[in-house]
Amino acid sequence: MTSILKHVFAVAMACAAATSAMAQDKVTLVVSNSQWLDALRGEGLWNAVKAYEKTAPNIELKALGIPSKDYGDRLMTEFGAGAGPDVAIIQEGVFYALADAGLLVDVGAAAEGVPLNVTKDNGIVDGVTLGVPWQRAAYALIYNSKLTEAAGAKVPATVEELIASAKAVQEKTPGSIGFTARHQISDFSGFYMDFQSWAYGYGASWVDGAGKLTINTPEAVAAVTAFKELYDAKVIPVGDDFPTQRTRFKEGQVGFSIDNSGGTLNIASGGATKGSDIHAAAMPFAHPGAHQQIYVVVNANSKHQEEATAFLKWLMSPEGQAGLRKASGPDMLATDVPLDPDFVAANPWATTFAEVATKSHSVLIPGFETETTQIMRPVMEAVEEVLINGTDPAAALAKAQQRVDGMF
Amino acid sequence: MSDQALLERPAAVPAPTSRKGRGSQGLSRLLPYAFVILPAAYLLVFMFYPLGRQVYLSLTRTRLANPNRSQFIGFGNYERLFGNPEFYSVLKITLVYSTMAVVLGVAVGMIAALALNRPFPGRTLVRGILLFGWAVPNVAAALVWLWIFNERSGVLNTIVTGLGLERISWLTSTDMALPSILLVTVWQVAPFVMLVMLAALQSVPEEVKEAAVIDGADKLSVFRAVTLPHILPTLQLVSLLVMVWSIRRFDIIYLLTGGGPVGSTSTLIVKLRQVAFENHDLGMSSAYGVVGLMLALMVAAIHALFNIRRQRSNSR
Repeated sequence: MTSILKHVFAVAMACAAATSAMAQDKVTLVVSNSQWLDALRGEGLWNAVKAYEKTAPNIELKALGIPSKDYGDRLMTEFGAGAGPDVAIIQEGVFYALADAGLLVDVGAAAEGVPLNVTKDNGIVDGVTLGVPWQRAAYALIYNSKLTEAAGAKVPATVEELIASAKAVQEKTPGSIGFTARHQISDFSGFYMDFQSWAYGYGASWVDGAGKLTINTPEAVAAVTAFKELYDAKVIPVGDDFPTQRTRFKEGQVGFSIDNSGGTLNIASGGATKGSDIHAAAMPFAHPGAHQQIYVVVNANSKHQEEATAFLKWLMSPEGQAGLRKASGPDMLATDVPLDPDFVAANPWATTFAEVATKSHSVLIPGFETETTQIMRPVMEAVEEVLINGTDPAAALAKAQQRVDGMF
Repeated sequence: MSDQALLERPAAVPAPTSRKGRGSQGLSRLLPYAFVILPAAYLLVFMFYPLGRQVYLSLTRTRLANPNRSQFIGFGNYERLFGNPEFYSVLKITLVYSTMAVVLGVAVGMIAALALNRPFPGRTLVRGILLFGWAVPNVAAALVWLWIFNERSGVLNTIVTGLGLERISWLTSTDMALPSILLVTVWQVAPFVMLVMLAALQSVPEEVKEAAVIDGADKLSVFRAVTLPHILPTLQLVSLLVMVWSIRRFDIIYLLTGGGPVGSTSTLIVKLRQVAFENHDLGMSSAYGVVGLMLALMVAAIHALFNIRRQRSNSR
């Protein structure tokens, strides 16, 4: 009896040791992204990423979802404190701040031999690849064809035409809204990023060839003046925050908007307005607009940097990109994977975003990437002053120029 | 019996002489420290250390993403701060906002407390309803008020336009944003003031008031000569609390206006957040924090001075 017990005990110990060894071999990578919490595409994106576990059975991926409003602040605080997730999917602004602080790992190995497109450019800092592209959300003009056709409104090619078409929509459908746009400093981050499309669209550049910050250029004054004309045309729901404005578009109450591809996907999903009723066109400006670029990075505090870089390499592979394509809707990816034909059939607006994303500019100011928000604060306060108090755009931007000059 | 007398050992009780007695005497001598040590440790770790750290950070150049690689720059941040005209605007808004929050919040709370201090049918229910503003979490309250203030479809503008008036830009005009925020603040603060003042009012001895009435004093005179002196210490304390809370209030302002429009509601704390998380400048944001701390300490010092003066006049 004692002998049998001894054998049973020995087998149990062996099993426990084997299980423990297997568990020790398994590496857990924590991957953070605000998009994991996205009700519409969060699950799809996570499943696309989670597919890596089939290729690498020794890896377990764990999602860390943080609301987008707090995402950058929290990650910077965690990285700065020597902690944070192994892999982070971050906006370009946060990427530059972390890169500047030396908190990102060289992930050049993940991009070796991969035909990355133009989205890779800003992920390379001083010749070192510190991030590989996740998604690029460019801006375009979107419109609800039901409302615009009912009003006989043409697709505008200029701001004057946009005002006329937005007014036509409001007149034809009582209670409808002509145009939606962020217009309040309470949503500073979104406001400045959206406004970059206006600035770039009018040919403004916030920095000149010599690296001097140029805020009150004639192009910037023209952009602010045009935005003010639109604001005064009483076609914008003044006071509404942007989630509310998007919901109004979703519910079929809005004629036109300038939004990015991620926002448009949100509008086209799960509301009264079908994706097939939404159309997109180039923005009514002479020059290309802005985009928001997201990168995937490896935390320098991570204990599993090699495994994390291997994960990024898989993400850049045809298999990883194909999975991501299905879940990403219209966003431009790291490689030129064509949009899903079924998605395009249901969402005719998607192709326009794919086109504009190849020519658009980063919302960050070249050479001042880590200081962009600091610089854009007085600029956007000047824009707000023009909108609310009717201050002359040139005077308001001259004041902003003075404030910016005193910063550095 | 005075506090001092209570603490003194009665002369009739013989001092314990045994070892056991000496041990228990030693233990009882240590007991007060045992009670104090936990709260003291808590304050040290969660209050004084962060405060000290903040003061130190304000003397350094520190980036948000790199807090461990700070560079000591002495009073450099303060030089920049005091040389920046924007700082004085922020300071002015903070003072105006905090002072108005005290004046209006305490006035409304006091009036409500006086009204509720007399019996009437349904008093308990009314008291419960009036406490609602204080009980609602700040974030939830701010989101509800965002809808109330909405320019197109908010309740307030529905009333305003129903009266045949022009829509008001409650949160999007530089003239109205601060008063709108004050309205929400008073809605939140007044119930607390009411509750505290009601407790104070109920402690005023009825017989003294009755004696004053018998002596021919009218209601206003009774309030001025009897009630007010009784409730004055509580009133001062509640004013101090409301002032300090207002200096450091963040959530309501940040959620309603984010400091805008055109900086018209940008208080020290809102600015601190902006400098820390938009400019990534922890050193400068700490300097803003230290100014806020000094402001709160000044208010507390004024309150202490009033207290000392009152105690002196009472002891005469």
